[in-house]
Amino acid sequence: MLRYAASRLIQALIAMFGVLTIVFVVMHLSGDPTLLLVPQGASAEMVAQLRHQLGFDQPIWRQYLDYLGALAQLDFGMSVVQRIPALDIVLSRLPYTFMLAAGALLVALGVGIPVGIVMAVRRGGWLENTLAAIVATGQSVPTFLSGILLILVFAVVLRWLPTSGVGDWRSLIMPSIALGGLAMATFARMTRISILDELGKDYVRAARARGLSLGGTVFRHVLRNAAIPVISIAALEIGNLLAGAVIIETVFAWPGIGQLAIQSIQSRDFLVVQVIVLLISFIYVATSVLADLVYALVDPRIRLAR
Amino acid sequence: MRTRLVTATALALALTMTAAAAQSAKSTLTIDLPGDAATLDPHLQWNTDSYIVYRNIFDNLLTRDADGNIVPQIASAWTYENDTTLLFTIRDDVTFQDGTPLTAEDVAFSINRIIDPELKSPQLSQFDQIEKAEAVSPTEVRVTTKSPYPALLAQLVKLSIVPKAYVEKVGNEAFNLKPMGSGPYALTEWQKGVQTTLKANPDYWRVKPPFETVIFRAVPDVSTRIADLRTGKADLIREVPPDQALTLKDAPDVQVLSVPTERIGYLYINAQAGPTADVRVRQAIAYAIDRQGLVDALLEGYGTPVDILGAPPVFGYTDAIEGYPFDPDKARALLKEAGAEGAELEFLTSPAYNQTLVEAIQQMLNDVGFNTKITMTDQPTFLKRRQGAPEEAGSIAVGAWSCACQDADGIIFPLFRSGSLWAKYSNPEYDALVDEARATLDTDRRLELYRKAYEILNEDVPGIGLYQVHAIYGASAKLKWKPTPNESMFVTDMSWSE
Repeated sequence: MLRYAASRLIQALIAMFGVLTIVFVVMHLSGDPTLLLVPQGASAEMVAQLRHQLGFDQPIWRQYLDYLGALAQLDFGMSVVQRIPALDIVLSRLPYTFMLAAGALLVALGVGIPVGIVMAVRRGGWLENTLAAIVATGQSVPTFLSGILLILVFAVVLRWLPTSGVGDWRSLIMPSIALGGLAMATFARMTRISILDELGKDYVRAARARGLSLGGTVFRHVLRNAAIPVISIAALEIGNLLAGAVIIETVFAWPGIGQLAIQSIQSRDFLVVQVIVLLISFIYVATSVLADLVYALVDPRIRLAR
Repeated sequence: MRTRLVTATALALALTMTAAAAQSAKSTLTIDLPGDAATLDPHLQWNTDSYIVYRNIFDNLLTRDADGNIVPQIASAWTYENDTTLLFTIRDDVTFQDGTPLTAEDVAFSINRIIDPELKSPQLSQFDQIEKAEAVSPTEVRVTTKSPYPALLAQLVKLSIVPKAYVEKVGNEAFNLKPMGSGPYALTEWQKGVQTTLKANPDYWRVKPPFETVIFRAVPDVSTRIADLRTGKADLIREVPPDQALTLKDAPDVQVLSVPTERIGYLYINAQAGPTADVRVRQAIAYAIDRQGLVDALLEGYGTPVDILGAPPVFGYTDAIEGYPFDPDKARALLKEAGAEGAELEFLTSPAYNQTLVEAIQQMLNDVGFNTKITMTDQPTFLKRRQGAPEEAGSIAVGAWSCACQDADGIIFPLFRSGSLWAKYSNPEYDALVDEARATLDTDRRLELYRKAYEILNEDVPGIGLYQVHAIYGASAKLKWKPTPNESMFVTDMSWSE
């Protein structure tokens, strides 16, 4: 187990290092932030002077080595745009990202799993068809559209919810639904398939033969077995929800790291982008490790085999 | 109707201001900006969303009145001691928000701070003609420029006065996070990426701040800003696109405010490389573009066609020059004469520019026989090419230029003076004119020089002015405010009526 964990960790570190290097090179090759920072009309000397002051006139390998050197001492550098430590900027946005991801996960699991169960149990009926249509909608409507539609209906016309920004829990509802919609569809489909798979097995027939109702069988026996594929999907989805909320965060003026990432890329705020990249790759690694642990918890076979 | 409304608003505003009765029942004003302030240290970043916020926290050395004239703010008067030395008299009744008096020391410190290379201020280029500033008495500051510099006052309009003692005590990094000035509003909380909350400074020397609290929110998506306005979550929103302004006009309880700005939409034409190196080809481009059509169809009238790369709020602007009328036949004839029919033009652009405008111009050019190809890159790559070697800089590109100094020196000098980053054009005669205009203090002489310079540009066409940009804001119908050509948002100019 320990050796397995260690090898996973080394793999993860190599992956993170690779991502970091690729992003560094791509970002630096496509221009530096100096031209975006100076007022229109700055002279060539002024631009050159600022570029020198910010250190972007150094050869790229030199900048890269300097960056790695600082990183080794856990110095993530200063944002050239905001003039405060890049790590502080990203960390200040992180709570909002977690909040939104939690809300979206709640929507995705809270709606997706029951819907998936109903669809499996009521296979072929009108209820399954109706739910299937809803799931397909959740999966196919782009988030920028669903976000704007939600705002229009619930904030502008009905005035039930605030339009945008952060505030009390009500401001979290619409972005959570918009972001959770896609994941909800995935969970519903996965749950349905995985329950249908289990329903064909002998232990289900045995339980039904003992006189247990279909609902009782599903809740007492099937769900636990059907959970494993759903958990592995959930781990992937958590990564997606944390890293992939760029559009939703922009539409709802939600100050998470997705919005920050886009803005930092546009303004070539290199060091902030690097911190975000590090963080997101770390989140992916952490969630997949977490999923392994939860597997073991749910399935004694996995636990005992190792 | 529009102008009458604006005049009436201005009149009402003037009345409320003189009565100092900017007393309003509304205590919190919420303004949606497209982005968060990058820095609140007024000597660092210079983007619109940043300076809109920090200019309400700080006073500037000078300011502009509603007509655009440079008028006193912290400096009550100034005299030229000689061509390179200016003596400013500083008000003695201004205090910072912590109660300490603002003196000439603070003014000198502010000027010397922004020109100090150590600060790495991106704004340095606006002030780099200043050699030094020194406080000669508690109420007098002497500013020395490297050479006679006529745009100095226009640049100093943008200089915020920061408290020397406080900045030195807390250091630059802390000052940016917790700025403190002498302006009408003090920072309460800066939730990065979310919003900046300001509260009224009860002791403000100039006027009584009209709202107890002002919140600047960062809302990147324009549809969301409009939804905020329509639901009353925001009272004022910035950067409304023309087509959205049309629909917003019909919404209840909401008004659209707009103002012609000093910003000019223009088309750059590469005079040094590619097919456009031939002046006849450049003139053909100028004849091919229907500026009135662009303004009517794409800007919904929120723009004013111009004949030169300048606009009325800009010093040096002249209406004496007749630009190129829309004449496709003449364009075709010129193209034929130059033997450049079917010439391939590379149209550089980035998402920062209006893409329908780009495509409309492409269509107009192809209609007269060009073969225009659009090259779309991100903004840093665009700037790198546009400001790079002429061979790399494409044939044409659109832009929207403002130096925020309302002076031709800030526009046509950086755009067309040989050797400057943007110039893909070189004409010694033109260079001599703009050089002299940059170094003489005689305003009549400067006007004459700029008129001649604009005449040369009109002949050589290294670029053409397309239209004067109108800034468009959405506001609650109860907000009274007259937007200014320099795109700033001073809350003390606003008021509320139930």
